[in-house]
Amino acid sequence: MPEFQFDSVADFFAMSGYAFYVWMAYGFFFAVMFWNLIQPRLARRKLMKLLRARQVREQNAAPPVRE
Amino acid sequence: MWQWLYKLGSPRYFYDMTTVFLPWLRGVTYFLLIVGLVWGLGFAPPDYQMKDNYRIIYIHVPTALGAMWVYAMMAAMAAMHMIWNLKLADMVAKSCAWVGASYCAVGLVTGSFWGKPTWGVYWIWDAKLTAMLILFFIYIGVIALRSAFDSETSGSKAASVLTLVGVVNLPIIYYAAQWWNTLHQPPSDLGGSATGANPPEIWIPVFFTGFGLIGLVFLLVILRTRNEILWRERRAQWVQDLVQGEPRRA
Repeated sequence: MPEFQFDSVADFFAMSGYAFYVWMAYGFFFAVMFWNLIQPRLARRKLMKLLRARQVREQNAAPPVRE
Repeated sequence: MWQWLYKLGSPRYFYDMTTVFLPWLRGVTYFLLIVGLVWGLGFAPPDYQMKDNYRIIYIHVPTALGAMWVYAMMAAMAAMHMIWNLKLADMVAKSCAWVGASYCAVGLVTGSFWGKPTWGVYWIWDAKLTAMLILFFIYIGVIALRSAFDSETSGSKAASVLTLVGVVNLPIIYYAAQWWNTLHQPPSDLGGSATGANPPEIWIPVFFTGFGLIGLVFLLVILRTRNEILWRERRAQWVQDLVQGEPRRA
């Protein structure tokens, strides 16, 4: 079983002096992947709103059905 | 098998099938990514030379390879669209362009933050780096070309052609480090030889993040393609029903 390689949390964040490079790389990675995951969700919400508005418009435009 | 592939080519079937399949894909992907990242960042032993700096490898190698791999998938879809006029293939290709471009950007940026402390520079016009940058521009070019047309059909056709032409760049990136003796190292030997090979404690987590990021490619491409299907099939009855069934949001 692999062991945790750092003595403390501060030690972990320091990354043996390479903190800036390691965390900038990971930060960019997480930012891009977060956007990648959130984009389809927002796009879907927007699309549904648009399609629903279309449906409502079409229903109103159709001549009333007489019974 | 062929019948199944034929059915899969129908946008509606693809949409319904992915609805069932998505939670599983999401679960496996997140599991692999979390295990790989936690293991790689905290539990893999430090490199004897680069210390903890090398931990960038767990995202650099999978995203850079992934960017090439997504391109190959996009090219296969473009070919299917050109040959059989398969609409779904074109929708998948459109999704691939965005996902591939994002992977390519991550590969380049993480590499740059690795290059500074090890090579002394953020960027150098090394063969492999330059070919990778060209891949990024091709992705952007494919996205821009598609959106430059008013007609969806012409945009698809132009994007497919550019995608297929850009395939030449793939072997160049992959073999760049072997063909030209510049700065970027060739792919590492995974323990085949006793000298200089990295121990498994270091490279096993790469497989976790690697498969996790491949899973993420599928997840992202499927999510984008589903939206594209709904838009292009918006006049179909099944989409109309789906829109009505969707819970309202403010």
